[in-house]
Amino acid sequence: MGRFCVVGLSHKRQGSESARGRLAAVAAPDVYERLRERGICEAVVLSTCNRFEIYWCDDASGEQDWERGFLEELAGVPIGERHDLRCDAAAVGHLLEVACGLDSLVVGESEILGQVKGAYEAAQAAGMTGKRLNVLFQRALYAGKRARRETGISAGQISVASVAAQLAETIFGSLSGSHALILGAGATAELAARHLLGRKVGRLSIANRTLERGRELASRLGAALVDWEQISAALEGVDIVVASTSAGEPVLRHAQVEEAMRRRSGRSLFIIDIAMPPNVEETAHRIEHVYLYRLLDLQGIADANLRARQKAVEQAQALIREKTEELWRWLAALEAGQELSLKHSPARP
Amino acid sequence: MTIQMVLIKLALAFYVGATALAVAFLFSREEKLSLWMLRLLGIGVLFHLGSFGVRQYLFWQIPENRWFFSINSFFGALSYLALAVTATFFIVEREHRLGILGAFVLPWATIGVGSAVIFADPKLEGLVPALQSYWINIHPIVLMTAYAMFANAFGVGVALLVQEHQIKSRKPTELCYRLPSIEELDTLNYKIIVAAFPVLTVGIIMGGIWAYNAWGRFWGWDAKETWALITALIYAGYLHMRFVKGLRGRKAVYVSMLGFASVVFTFLGVNYLSQLHGYLSGRG
Repeated sequence: MGRFCVVGLSHKRQGSESARGRLAAVAAPDVYERLRERGICEAVVLSTCNRFEIYWCDDASGEQDWERGFLEELAGVPIGERHDLRCDAAAVGHLLEVACGLDSLVVGESEILGQVKGAYEAAQAAGMTGKRLNVLFQRALYAGKRARRETGISAGQISVASVAAQLAETIFGSLSGSHALILGAGATAELAARHLLGRKVGRLSIANRTLERGRELASRLGAALVDWEQISAALEGVDIVVASTSAGEPVLRHAQVEEAMRRRSGRSLFIIDIAMPPNVEETAHRIEHVYLYRLLDLQGIADANLRARQKAVEQAQALIREKTEELWRWLAALEAGQELSLKHSPARP
Repeated sequence: MTIQMVLIKLALAFYVGATALAVAFLFSREEKLSLWMLRLLGIGVLFHLGSFGVRQYLFWQIPENRWFFSINSFFGALSYLALAVTATFFIVEREHRLGILGAFVLPWATIGVGSAVIFADPKLEGLVPALQSYWINIHPIVLMTAYAMFANAFGVGVALLVQEHQIKSRKPTELCYRLPSIEELDTLNYKIIVAAFPVLTVGIIMGGIWAYNAWGRFWGWDAKETWALITALIYAGYLHMRFVKGLRGRKAVYVSMLGFASVVFTFLGVNYLSQLHGYLSGRG
């Protein structure tokens, strides 16, 4: 009787980083080539920053316990006992968990779904998928979508920068017409700027005390450069301010913001102060149309969102259990020469 | 129960259902709720139109009412008003895909039809001679269309206040991410008022012309006239402050809400004061 198995190394295993790094460099076609040499003609290689996994189906007639040696051969280093091997229902359950984002570093993240899809499509293109893997992967992708849509596992942003960028949208809607000014040129400033760019912010400007570092970041991000002395004047025209300098004292004072608001004819100003100690005088939040969020506020929202995601994990697990059972029964019956029909076609819109 | 009443009660039931779904949609990610809200609303509108048609047909059975719109009674007016509110909502929804606003707008349509069914007398009577004019097909309808648009703007304003509060509190809930942004709501509130204001103004001027034809004077400081003027002045103030002083957001909404309070009073309260415009006094 045939088997469906998965072997791999993931971020869940301590000390697997270097082997994973080496495996990530191995091209999938090479893996398929070597699997074929072993007589395995149905396999999908899933290789991301956090995991390297091979899913395969075979008829279990060949050599046993070859997996570890195979991975070591691919990686070129010993992996000890850092790999995980799962077969049958456990393998089905694992595939579903991965697709649903429950096995990810950040619960419910969506990138993995695209990566599973990409890996499956590449395997399909390489002629490495048959009926079993086609059905399993298509079902897993569908379950991944459903879990994210129907449960809260991927609801809410969970990093400070992404929470801030999302809040900007609750104030301005699409950011394509918005102008963001970044104060500071450090790593945090850059990260926040990139999140705003990810949400298609219309214009981006950088102001930094040390002009040279500001210019560097501005050219990296394709942003305009604003003279540090001109910040007050610039406030009149921008919608979003990200303050992330290492200054020990406020770089934006209440009076400065108030003065700028007088010239803004009621347009909202969103100030994101992610500096520690804070860069913006706290009382500025009291000014009409000014929304000042500090690092603590954003962290609080991110934490609450993460807690909400974790609460939703149980719901997603229930879905996974149900689907695992259904798929496993289908798979076992198929091996016994009988085809069961599955509920809910993934082809459904 | 007459066919007219059966139909309008069915419409009311569907409006109540649509409103309940709209409120549920505020707190749920389920897109189906919004879809079904629109469907129930659509069915409600069909029943409502049916009831309207039947009423119009019966109204025309009275010879002197022929070809006049049956908007002379409280019942007819409320019914038309609710219909205009849903029509405006459909247009806004179509333009902006903002099903989420249903929770803030549809209660007005439900209240309109609900009070027609519960409080107003559906009895049909012959129009008094003063109202037997083609103006009755224009003047009240234009004004009530403006009122319905203002009701929509009011709903958008409430949504803006909720959203502003959410973001100012620094503890936004799920609702914050589901509502349109502050700027979008602000713009929408403004757009609706900009569109409604000329309608209101034209309606008032038409009333003046009708008054001149019927009573020989353009303006007589009748309570309805006075309050309609006050309403227009408040909204004119809103537009002025927005254009000239850049008044936006929360405070702008307060002004527009004052305007809507004035609309409600002009429509309801004034009936007890006005000699010439009382639905309740029956003098038309």
